[in-house]
Amino acid sequence: MAKPRAERLLSADRLSFLIAFVPWLAARERSTVAEAARHFGVTEDLIRQTVLLVAMSGRPGEARWADPLPDEMFDIDWDAFDEHDELVLTHVLDLETAPRFSAREAAAVIAGLQYLAGLPESAGSARIAALQDKLSRGTAGTPVRVGAVSTGADPQRLARIREAAAAGHQLEFSYLNEQGQRERRTVDPLRVESADDNWYLRAWCHLRDAVRTFRLDRITDLDVTELPVTHTGDDVALSDDLFTPAGDELDVVVELPADALPLLGDFLIDAEFQELAGARVRATLRVAHVHGVKRLAARMPGIVTVIAPAEARDAVADWARAALQAYS
Amino acid sequence: MPSARPTIPVEDRLFSLILALLASRIGLGKSEIFETVRGYKEQHRPGEQNLSLDRMFERDKEILRELGVPVETFEPPDDPGNNQSSRYRIPRAAFELPADVSFTPDETGLLALAARVWRQGSMSAEARRALFKLDALGVGDPDPVIGYAPRLRPADVSFAALDAAISASRAVSFDYLRPGRAEATPRQVVPLALVLYDGRWHLYAVHEESGQRRTYLLRRIVGPVTERAVVEVPDGDHGAEALAGLTSLAESQRAELLVAVGSDAALRLGSRPTARWIDASHLDLGYVDAAILADELVGFGPEIRVIAPESLKAAVVERLQRVVATHG
Repeated sequence: MAKPRAERLLSADRLSFLIAFVPWLAARERSTVAEAARHFGVTEDLIRQTVLLVAMSGRPGEARWADPLPDEMFDIDWDAFDEHDELVLTHVLDLETAPRFSAREAAAVIAGLQYLAGLPESAGSARIAALQDKLSRGTAGTPVRVGAVSTGADPQRLARIREAAAAGHQLEFSYLNEQGQRERRTVDPLRVESADDNWYLRAWCHLRDAVRTFRLDRITDLDVTELPVTHTGDDVALSDDLFTPAGDELDVVVELPADALPLLGDFLIDAEFQELAGARVRATLRVAHVHGVKRLAARMPGIVTVIAPAEARDAVADWARAALQAYS
Repeated sequence: MPSARPTIPVEDRLFSLILALLASRIGLGKSEIFETVRGYKEQHRPGEQNLSLDRMFERDKEILRELGVPVETFEPPDDPGNNQSSRYRIPRAAFELPADVSFTPDETGLLALAARVWRQGSMSAEARRALFKLDALGVGDPDPVIGYAPRLRPADVSFAALDAAISASRAVSFDYLRPGRAEATPRQVVPLALVLYDGRWHLYAVHEESGQRRTYLLRRIVGPVTERAVVEVPDGDHGAEALAGLTSLAESQRAELLVAVGSDAALRLGSRPTARWIDASHLDLGYVDAAILADELVGFGPEIRVIAPESLKAAVVERLQRVVATHG
């Protein structure tokens, strides 16, 4: 049963693309394969295949058994297509208007909008509500409310970051690092990222002379300076991983039930695993500092046990003992 | 399965079906579809029962509906009650985006960002299709002042199964680990919505035995989620209702904490929507699940001390002792 399902998914995607692509092309006098591929974020091959399919498609002919007549078919400028990779629809049958969203598509977008309510671009909840309403009217059926999300984004900090990026000025803030030390940082903002409720600023850090990721909720006293930035999002390539290894990490070995692995979150990046008896796993995590691992292990009492190095194991025990003292 | 007949790709057949059903004002009967639409007519055997074509047509209708293409079934007035003579069409007004629904470039940019929030996980297919349709409007994203890469990535394995069950209006059963219990017990519910609150995914559902609406934490669902029968799901904005319920629960369940000034705990816990500072070091924090809050608080080690309630204090102390015992 696995195969038909995969095929169906793929064809569903291709069909969605088809019914979006045709009205887009019909609305322009001409385009090119390259432009269309860029606009939709798909490969040029897919554009060519799609154009060929459209050019051969039509509505059923008046005479039942016969093939459709030419005016019952889409047509393209074949010379322009074959010789110059140009796209010109010379005969449009139908699909001149973009299709409605499906209930699930609209639901996904609406939940995403709620999540982004804290962005300065969302300009407050009134705009989000108006957009949701418009989207609902453009949906076939009623959007299934699959998800509703509270936003973890802090509008004030995000607005300040956007202001600095728009002006091309450096940001200055006080940052509490994982070791619990507060440092003054001056950075060029590159990109704002998030993972569920956690929001991050990726920036060129002038203190470290490298790209660094900062948790928004550890940033305080955020100011836009008068200094122009030296790096922008266009000229610094950012990896997809939020935390780029700095090269001076520590290997920490932890043990936990295999079921609990997802709870390790970002620590799973670059980790190595060894299966143990009783559905347990030994994982070697690359961490920036023992302080990070002590918070992780304490958050999962009795589930995650730090095995090595002794320094990390002691750090966890000391952390918990220090906390217990307050209650004795 | 070798076949002498040329195979028409699924998306090709579905596209031809859309064109045929859109073009016909009076609708098409099954036999007309099987005889004239590409992908069907190649397999059609005149004078025979076309059971495989029947099945194919049923599946195609379902795929189209899922993709937001409304296929309408109606019985001709001169032959009511005979479903063999049912006719099918796609009403243009229900298929095309209404003329009064249009978006500015800023709005399209925000909607596209909202769809991209789901680029990983079970909602990513819907999000990708929604993006195609947004691109079809041809507005193009405005150049962002700063790049955003927001991401919702439900880590809980049950998310995809529950999401599918909600879309299909199916009841489900699963084993649920109640806070403070060691053994999971079975639950039978009608799922209504999935809600991200306070950084965690919750399921809002009707508990079948009591008929009451309850909230379940996805992290406490152990083992597989089993789909059961299709059921009647009550109308309403369940997501919003669930969020309101969780918010009022966090309003009524409060913890008083002593927090080290300027610590990580002060920043992270203090910036939560449910937090209120009593003075510079005393935090009044709302929560929905005491066991989960206790786990989190242990992660902050000596940076916090629980003052009230007693039960939370005991839970934190017990966890700290467990951490010491496993690392001492």
